Amino acid sequence: MMNAMNVPSKRSTLERKLDKLILTLFGALFLMCLIGAIGSGIFISRKYYYLGLTESVENQFNPSNRFVVATLTMFTLITLYSTIIPISLYVSIEMIKFIQSTQFINKDLHMYHIETNTPALARTSNLNEELGQVEYIFSDKTGTLTRNLMEFFKCSIGGEVYGTGMTEIEWGVAAQRNGIKIEEAQKSATVVHEKGFNFDDARLMRGAWRNEPNPDTCKEFFRCLAICHTVLPEGDESPEKITYQAASPDEAALVTAAKNFGFFFYRRTPTTVYVRESHVEKMGNIQDMPYEILNVLEFNSTRKRQSVVCRYPNGRLVLYCKGADTVIYERLAHGNDALKKVTREHLEQFGSAGLRTLCLAYRDLTPDMYENWNEKFIPAKSSLRDREKKLDEVGELIEKDLILIGCTAIEDKLQEGVPSCIEILSRAGIKIWVLTGDKMETAINIAYACNLINNEMKQFIISSETDEIREAENRGDQVEIARLIRDTVKKELKKCLEESQNFLHRVAGPKLSLVIDGKCLMYALDPNLRVMLLNLSLNCSSVVCCRVSPLQKAQVTSLVKKGARKITLSIGDGANDVSMIQAAHVGIGISGLEGMQAVMASDFAIAQFRFLADLLLVHGRWSYLRISKVVTYFFYKNLTFTLTQFWFTFQTGFSGQRFYDDWFQSLYNVIFTALPVIMVGLFDKDVSASLSKRYPQLYKEGIRNSFFKWRVVGIWAFFSLYQSLIFYHFVTTSSSNGQNFSGKMFGLWDVSTMAFTCVVVTVNLRLLMICNSITRWHHISVAGSILAWFVFIFIYSGVMTPYDRQENVYYVIYVLMSTFYFYLTLLLVPVVALLGDFLYQGIQRWFFPYDYQIVQEIHRHEPDDTRRAQLLEISNQLTPDEARSFAISQLPRETSKHTGFAFESPGYESFFASQQGVYAPQKAWDVARRASMMRSKPKKSQKN
Amino acid sequence: MKAPIYIYYQLDNYYQNHRRYVKSRSDKQLLHGLNYRDTSSCKPEESNNGLPIVPCGLIAWSLFNDTFNFVHATKQLEVSRKNIAWKSDRDHKFGKNVYPFNFQNGTLIGGGSLNPSIPLSDQEDLIVWMRTAALPSFRKLYGRIEQDLEEDDLVEVKISNNYNTFSFGGKKKLVLSTSGWLGGKNDFLGMACIAVGSSSLFISLIFVMLHVKNPRPYGDTSYLTWNRKGISS
Repeated sequence: MMNAMNVPSKRSTLERKLDKLILTLFGALFLMCLIGAIGSGIFISRKYYYLGLTESVENQFNPSNRFVVATLTMFTLITLYSTIIPISLYVSIEMIKFIQSTQFINKDLHMYHIETNTPALARTSNLNEELGQVEYIFSDKTGTLTRNLMEFFKCSIGGEVYGTGMTEIEWGVAAQRNGIKIEEAQKSATVVHEKGFNFDDARLMRGAWRNEPNPDTCKEFFRCLAICHTVLPEGDESPEKITYQAASPDEAALVTAAKNFGFFFYRRTPTTVYVRESHVEKMGNIQDMPYEILNVLEFNSTRKRQSVVCRYPNGRLVLYCKGADTVIYERLAHGNDALKKVTREHLEQFGSAGLRTLCLAYRDLTPDMYENWNEKFIPAKSSLRDREKKLDEVGELIEKDLILIGCTAIEDKLQEGVPSCIEILSRAGIKIWVLTGDKMETAINIAYACNLINNEMKQFIISSETDEIREAENRGDQVEIARLIRDTVKKELKKCLEESQNFLHRVAGPKLSLVIDGKCLMYALDPNLRVMLLNLSLNCSSVVCCRVSPLQKAQVTSLVKKGARKITLSIGDGANDVSMIQAAHVGIGISGLEGMQAVMASDFAIAQFRFLADLLLVHGRWSYLRISKVVTYFFYKNLTFTLTQFWFTFQTGFSGQRFYDDWFQSLYNVIFTALPVIMVGLFDKDVSASLSKRYPQLYKEGIRNSFFKWRVVGIWAFFSLYQSLIFYHFVTTSSSNGQNFSGKMFGLWDVSTMAFTCVVVTVNLRLLMICNSITRWHHISVAGSILAWFVFIFIYSGVMTPYDRQENVYYVIYVLMSTFYFYLTLLLVPVVALLGDFLYQGIQRWFFPYDYQIVQEIHRHEPDDTRRAQLLEISNQLTPDEARSFAISQLPRETSKHTGFAFESPGYESFFASQQGVYAPQKAWDVARRASMMRSKPKKSQKN
Repeated sequence: MKAPIYIYYQLDNYYQNHRRYVKSRSDKQLLHGLNYRDTSSCKPEESNNGLPIVPCGLIAWSLFNDTFNFVHATKQLEVSRKNIAWKSDRDHKFGKNVYPFNFQNGTLIGGGSLNPSIPLSDQEDLIVWMRTAALPSFRKLYGRIEQDLEEDDLVEVKISNNYNTFSFGGKKKLVLSTSGWLGGKNDFLGMACIAVGSSSLFISLIFVMLHVKNPRPYGDTSYLTWNRKGISS
C-alpha cells in the first residue's frame, strides 16, 4: 500500500488546450462587449428625438448617465455575443468520443485476441485523442513485453552451433536486409515443441549427436544440463507427465532440454540425481544412471555461477559448472583457445539476437584433490558467521581450470509481434522506456531482444553493482552507502550527460541508450539531480530502468510528464504497474493473464502489446485528427456567426439590437450546424488503417500537435473574420436598393434572414472542405442541415404565433424568395466567402503539404474505401467459431472474472527485502504461482 | 426613363435599427386594433391622455411626412402611391378594420399623422415605414411615376420639408430609379459578380502557369517531413 497513489482523473492534453481556447474566446467576448459598451455610452443622445429619450426614459437609454448606459449595454451584449462560446462543443465531443471508443476501439478486430477471447476495451472515453499524441511509452517487461516463458532455443557445443530457429530480431534483420518478408521456414517433422523447449535441429535429437564431430563433448553437455541444477521433479516419472519445479524458469527450460536430448532427469534424493540416459552406450540403449551429488555450490548474483560436484556410478568425480560467460571464462584452464574464441563468437551472436546465454564447463577431479577441498568446504558450510562469504571463497578454490563445453541460449519468449511493434512505434517517433523489477542483465537482454538496444548504440550504464559500492555494503554503514551511491550517481550522470551532448552535436553520431538501476534511480530522482537525469534520458532514444519499485516507475513517468511536458503512456499488466499506469497521461493495461488490477486502473485495456500499434497509430491518430477538426471547426463556425452580429452592432448605434431572430440564434448550433461536424468526428480519416501502419511517421504530426496548435487556430480565426465581413457587408450593401420589379425595399429582417441563410450554407459547405473522406453520411448530414434550415424558416415565417411577440420574420422568406436578388446572393456570397479558404488550401497543399496529403497522393489510385464497413476496418476474416466468441466477448462482462490479484509479481518481496538488507528467500507460492500462471496460458501448439 | 419610375426617399444617419426603436411597436395591435389592449411593448408611445394610441409605438409616431410634387413641362406628374408596400404586410400584418386612433395627439409630434378614416391596411406609407430598415442609411419607396421621361426632360420637384432630420444631423435624399425583372439597379451586386468571376479566372490562370512552369508531382515523397529532414541533416 506504500506504493498506492490517489487515483487521478485524467483529461486529455487537447482538452486542456481547448480550455485555454475557450478562455481566449471569453477574452474576445469581453473585448467585443467592452467596445460595444463604450460605443453605446458615446452614441446615446437626445438629438435622436425619434428614439423618445425623454427625461423619464429607463436607465438603459438615459443619455444623462452614460456610464450606466454603457454598463447595462455591456450585459445586453454579453447575451448577444454569447454564441461565440461553443457550449455545444463539449457535448458533441463527448458524444463523438463515446462512439469512437465503444464502436471503433472496442470493436476493432485487429485488436481482438482470439486465443484469450479478449477484445480491446476503452475504459474511459476521455483520452481517445491523447492516444494520437503519445511521445513516450513506459513499458513493464514481464507479461507485457515477454510471456515470462523461457525456452531452450539454441546451443553451442564444442564450437558448433545447434538450433535452426530464428528469433524475431533475426527475422527483422533478415527482412530489412533482403527487403522482403521471408515466409517462415517450414518446420521439420522432428521438431519437438513443449513448454520450455523450442529447439529444432535433427543433428542432436534422438541420439543423432553420436555422429557429430565430438560426441563426448555433447555427452558432457547433456549431463551438465541434467545434473547441474536445483530443480525438483514432480508427478509421474515419465517424460510426458513429469513437471519440474524450479526457482527460475531458465533452470526448468534447461532440464527440459536435457530430457528432450535423451537425458531424462526423473528423481532427486538428498544425495542422488537419477537420470535416464538414452543412446549413450549404443543407439537405442536406455539406462538409468544414479549420480551422487557431493556438493552444491549455489547460484547468487555475485558468483553468477552454479556448480555441482558429483560422482558417477563408475567412481568418476566431476565438477559441473554453469554460469555467466565472464565468470566462466576467467576460470577456464589454459589452452584450447580456438574453442574459446569460437564459443565467444557464438555467445555474442546469441546475445545480440536477444537470447539469454549460460556457459557450461566441467572439471575432472581426482579423489585426493576433492577430499582436500571438501575438508575446507564442510567447516565453511556449517559456519555461523559470514557463511555466504566463506562459501564463496571455498568455491573459488575448486572452480578453476575448467574445461569449456559450450553454451546454451534460452529465449525469454517475447509476446507475439513485440519487436516489430516496437520498431513501428519507434519509426513513429515514439520513445520506449522499459521499466522493470528484473535484474540489469535480464533487462538489457530483453532490450536487445526487443531491438531497443543494439550494438551500434552507445550505451550509458549507471549501476549500483560496482565493487566500490559492494564493499561499502559489506561494511554495512547505511549513511556511508547512501553518500557513496549519491556521489557515484552524480559523477556518472554528469559524465554521461556531457558525453551525450558531444554525441548529439556530431552529425552522424550513434544513437544513445541509458541503463540505470533502481538504487541509482532513487538518488537520481533527487530534486538536485532530477534535471540532469531528465536531460540525459531525453537525449537517449531508449532507456532501460531495472530493479525499480512500483513507486519509482510512477516517479519516472511523472518526471517525463511534468519535467519534459511530453505526453506519456504506460503499459503494464500487473499490480506493480498500477501506479505507473495512473501516473501517465494514458494508462494501458494488458488484460487476460495477470489478474485485473492493472486493467482496473487503466484507461484502455488490450490483450497484447502488439495491439498498441493499432491503438496508437490507427485509432489514436484518427481520434486526434478528428477531434482537432471538430474543435477548430466549432471555433470557426461560432466565431463567424458572432462576428456578423458584432459588425451589425456598429451600425445600430451600439444599442444591442439583434441582427438575427432569437430562434435563428438559438437553433444555429443545435440544428443547422450540429450534425455534419459530428460526422467528421466519427468518419473522417486521412489515410486508411493499413497505410497508417505502413507510414508510421504520419504519427509524428500528432506528436508535433500539427492540427491543433495556435497557428492553426489563428488561421481559422483569420478566415472566420474574413468570412464574417463578407457575409455582413455583401448582404447589407447589396440589399440597399430596390429589390424586385415593383421597386419594393427590404427591411431589417429580410436582410438578416438573407445573411443567416448565407452563413448556414457557407458554414456547412466549409465543413466539406475540411473532410479528407466524404461518405454518404457527410452528404446526408450537410444537405440535411441546409434543408433543415429551409424547412424551419418556411414553417417559422409562415405562421403567426397567438401570443404577443413581434412577428419580425413573418412571411420574410417568401418575400425574399420572390426576388432574384435572393438567388444571386445565395450563389455569390458563399463563393466569395469560401474563395479565401479554397485559395489557402490550394496553396498549402501545393507548397507546404502535410505528410498525410503526400501519402494520400501516393496511394490515390488505390480503391477508395470510404464505405462505413471499411471505416471501421472490419473485414470478415473470422471463422464462425471465432466470430461467435468475439460476439460473446462483446457481451457485458461478468464481474466475477477476477483471478488472484492479491499476489505480487514474482521476486518482488525478496527484492525489496534485499534492498533493506534482509535476506528473504523466494517464496514457495511465487514458484507455484508462476508455474500455475504458465499453465493457464493458452497453448499455441494447439493451433499450429 | 421608362415607366414605372420609382420614387425613393433616402435618409442617412437615421437609426431605424436602434434596439429601442425596433421593438417599440405592437404587431398584435396593428392587426387587431383597439381590441388588443396590451401595448406595453410600445413604450414610450403607448397611450396619451389615458387612451391608447393606434398605431402605437415610436416607429409609427416618427412616421416620415415629407411630400413630393413632380412637375414636368408645367404639367403635374401623376404619382401613384398605391402598391408600394409588400403584399404580405398589407394582407396579414395590418388590420383591414383597424383605424388610427388618438394618433399624434400628444404634446410632442414625432412625424406625420394619419387619416383616421382609412384602415391601416391601406395606409401604405405607414406600412412601408414600419418595415424597419437594416442600416442607418436607407431608402424607402414613396411612389411611382407612371409615365415615361425622356432624356433632358426637366422635372421640377416641390418638396414640403416637414420631417425633422436637422436635430441629429441626418440627410434626406430623393432618388428616382427604374427597375427591371431582376430588380432595381444594383451596382454592387453586379460589380461583385464580375470581380469574383475575374479574380477566380485570374487565380486559376496563375495555378495553371504554376502547374506548367513548376509542377509538383503527385505523391512526391521528397516532400515528406521525414525525408526532408534526412536530406538536410
